[in-house]
Amino acid sequence: MTQLAAVLDAAARDFDNSLERLFSLVRIPSISTDPAHAADCAKAAQAIVDDLTALGFEADVRKTPGRPMVVAHYTPKGAARNMPHFLFYGHYDVQPADPLNLWKTPPFEPTVQTDKAGIARMYGRGTADDKGQLMTFVEAARAWITTTGTLPIKATFLIEGEEESGSPSLVPFLKANRKALSCDAAFVCDTNMWDAKTPAITTRLRGLVHEEITITGPSIDLHSGMYGGPAMNPIRVLSKVIAALHDKNGKVTIPGFYDGVAALPKATKKQWQSLKFSDAKFLKEVGLKEPAGEKGKSVLEQIWARPTAEVNGIWGGYTGVGTKTVLPSQAHAKLTFRLVGKQDPEKVLKAFHGFVKGLIPKDCKVTFSGRGGGSPATEIPEDNPVIAKSAKALKDEFRRDAVLMGSGGSIPICRFFKDILGMDSILVGFGLNDDAIHSPNEKYNLESYRRGIRSWVRIMGEFGA
Amino acid sequence: MVHPDSVLAEIDQQFPQSLERVFELLRFPSVGTDPAHAPDCRRAAEWLVRGLEAMGFTAGLRETTGQPLVVGSYAPPGGGPELPHILFYGHYDVQPADPLELWTSAPFEPQIRKGKSGKFSIFARGAADDKGQLMTFLEASRCWLKVHGTLPFRLTVMIEGDEEGDAAHLDAFLRTNARQFPVDAVFICDTGMWDEKTPAIDTRLRGCMGIEVTITGPRIDLHSGYYGGPARNPIKVLSCILADIHDARGRITIPRFYDGVKPIPAKLRKQWEALRFPAKRFLGDVGLSVPAGEAGYSVLEQMWARPTAEVNGIHGGYQGLGTKTVLPAEATAKLTFRLVEGQDPGKIRRAFKQFVKDRLPPDCKARFDDSGGDSRGIAVSQDTPWMVAARAALKAEFGREAVMMGAGYSIPAVESFKTHLGADSVLVGFGLADDNAHSPDEKYDVDSFRHGTRAWARIIAQFARE
Repeated sequence: MTQLAAVLDAAARDFDNSLERLFSLVRIPSISTDPAHAADCAKAAQAIVDDLTALGFEADVRKTPGRPMVVAHYTPKGAARNMPHFLFYGHYDVQPADPLNLWKTPPFEPTVQTDKAGIARMYGRGTADDKGQLMTFVEAARAWITTTGTLPIKATFLIEGEEESGSPSLVPFLKANRKALSCDAAFVCDTNMWDAKTPAITTRLRGLVHEEITITGPSIDLHSGMYGGPAMNPIRVLSKVIAALHDKNGKVTIPGFYDGVAALPKATKKQWQSLKFSDAKFLKEVGLKEPAGEKGKSVLEQIWARPTAEVNGIWGGYTGVGTKTVLPSQAHAKLTFRLVGKQDPEKVLKAFHGFVKGLIPKDCKVTFSGRGGGSPATEIPEDNPVIAKSAKALKDEFRRDAVLMGSGGSIPICRFFKDILGMDSILVGFGLNDDAIHSPNEKYNLESYRRGIRSWVRIMGEFGA
Repeated sequence: MVHPDSVLAEIDQQFPQSLERVFELLRFPSVGTDPAHAPDCRRAAEWLVRGLEAMGFTAGLRETTGQPLVVGSYAPPGGGPELPHILFYGHYDVQPADPLELWTSAPFEPQIRKGKSGKFSIFARGAADDKGQLMTFLEASRCWLKVHGTLPFRLTVMIEGDEEGDAAHLDAFLRTNARQFPVDAVFICDTGMWDEKTPAIDTRLRGCMGIEVTITGPRIDLHSGYYGGPARNPIKVLSCILADIHDARGRITIPRFYDGVKPIPAKLRKQWEALRFPAKRFLGDVGLSVPAGEAGYSVLEQMWARPTAEVNGIHGGYQGLGTKTVLPAEATAKLTFRLVEGQDPGKIRRAFKQFVKDRLPPDCKARFDDSGGDSRGIAVSQDTPWMVAARAALKAEFGREAVMMGAGYSIPAVESFKTHLGADSVLVGFGLADDNAHSPDEKYDVDSFRHGTRAWARIIAQFARE
């Protein structure tokens, strides 16, 4: 038996215990957004540190102004200087569980249920996001250490407790611990598979920048009978601004908006085409039929590789029941821009500001009240050697090629790892689209957990000597 | 005519009690469009009934398809059919008070204090529109009755509770019950003065057609990361429709919208020009400087003689603090169209719906709420005996000739009175441009109330015989 086979075998034999260890973590209601659960967050962090310490990690609960971080290092005895060193990232905090009445089993009392088709799922808040996922690499490390006495790589685990509340402490923490946390690359286990049988590595994440605009016309709300006609209506002005954002082909019209957006490489386009993603099915699930994005781009391309300008909310004037014949003084809108490639959030915001100002008539003024900032897109070059080895390990496990996918959403951590620690992030996760993360009855398939552990065993092995 | 001196003296002497009665009425938050305030509307209506009864009227509430209607009638003892029959109309419902945080004092706790103009004003929702105004007539009648024991005409007082909401309720009531109200003329107190020294009678009113449109797209709210791009955004669709309503010169682009709109007679344009309306100050007072209506028309013409399309409210998606990366399932706008004489509200409603439908992309639907009401624009004759009497009385009270003006807003009741009762309306009001009707810090000047009450006494005097 090869060493790898032995480790996989050990993981299989220990699976029931792996499940029980995950359950004891899920039982801690470590909700980061709710101050009442601060002690539970500390308890979860301590439990992970205790476990990793017992495994031989140098592990600590590290204080932050918010919830604590877990930092754990493992350096194999006599490791060569050039032994690959990876950071593994996960988060022990979870979303609030309400509305509680919609849960079929209590959110913090994990249970396993097997359906008629024989598919076993564990239910509980955090089973998928992200306790179940982070435990896949913890359990993989355990299998290596208990079987061979060591890990085949140098490993640093960073497990935060504020992911669900916007990670306010993360950036300062990374900056303060640059040296200890900088590795060859980061593995982030917080994403999904392509489907239940096909593994995936997410290599593209869109960036995000927010803005809120307020257009002010008259100094007070006016009676639309008396002033209707001569008075400028800010809702009308705002409508014009929003209407002007896209041309008839769905392209964003803000000058300079597409600066830094590269055409999709042919090979990638081909790979995505081969996924046989059903645009029709994807849209039908939400009551739509026709893709509304840029003409000539597939739905996957629109979500994964093209930037957008979206209005998330709009309000102005009377919005209550019935009618009010008012000409409002102000109208407001919240917008987000999803960014790709090398689009610069600051530049996009600035270009947007200029675009809006150019459309504002003399009697109106516009104010921008977004917080600025934002995050650019993350694109890991697909020829990155860590990706190649990870993809091989995943193929060995699943007997299928890993899909190199994009994600329309944003995971800011990848950007921080790149900017502060200078390392790429490899997003490998085992969640499924129906995991109901953030919703009642969150679940994680037992197969996700089992295969996840085995996948990490293989990935770690792939980088061993 | 009888000289009104003794009644004017009574009005001046009674003034504190008159104010106290206005305050009582203002304390009812009778927001007609909000179902939560239906009980308040009824209480305000009952209060008015009690007041009319105390003045010797036969009064009660008449149920309508909307808020209850206050109807009081007074027949002079011994008076025969030779006496004219006047209907006085007002409304006890008020606009919603929000945004509440912009009020200096609570909207339904009336207060007299010096306003920006340096004059004492009654601050409350409804102070000007229309509780303060309708009370000028009632207080004048009360004082007249106290002094003379009778009125010189048969009088029906009709105070409705749906003026700010759906005009269809009063219209239906008048249609059904027209025979009970064989009136000769209607007096209405819901309009403004030309300026604080110059009285006015409105002879032109714009009509109003209200409609709400909701654009629906995806079945549910979507995550803007996962769907941003391929998913149709109803806010965007709605914005494009609204943006299309006006062309670059402020003209409305809805097909056939201007059908029936007559050009403004040259003579009238001249008369209005002679008013030297301070357009700059009018706009400057509300923070504006450039007339935003149709190019080629003066501000007065834009308000008095040209139709409009206005968005009164818009909402969709996330409107709370911070951000939420959502693509909403729907977006809604409330619109009103101000109409001038000759335009047909029903046709315009249909034309607007078609205009929206023509602009719907695949995957979006439009839903309409038609309960915003319909009224036609109206122009009334300046030469009736009622109009002549009102002009003489106003001149006597203010020492200035009343301006025969237009009004941008609609009083749908005027159309209903004309259609169902065959009666023209005389629109005499004492509001001022800075009254903030429909806005926070609505007010009615104490002087408006005083002179208004006195002016009505002088109008009543025009009909009295020794």
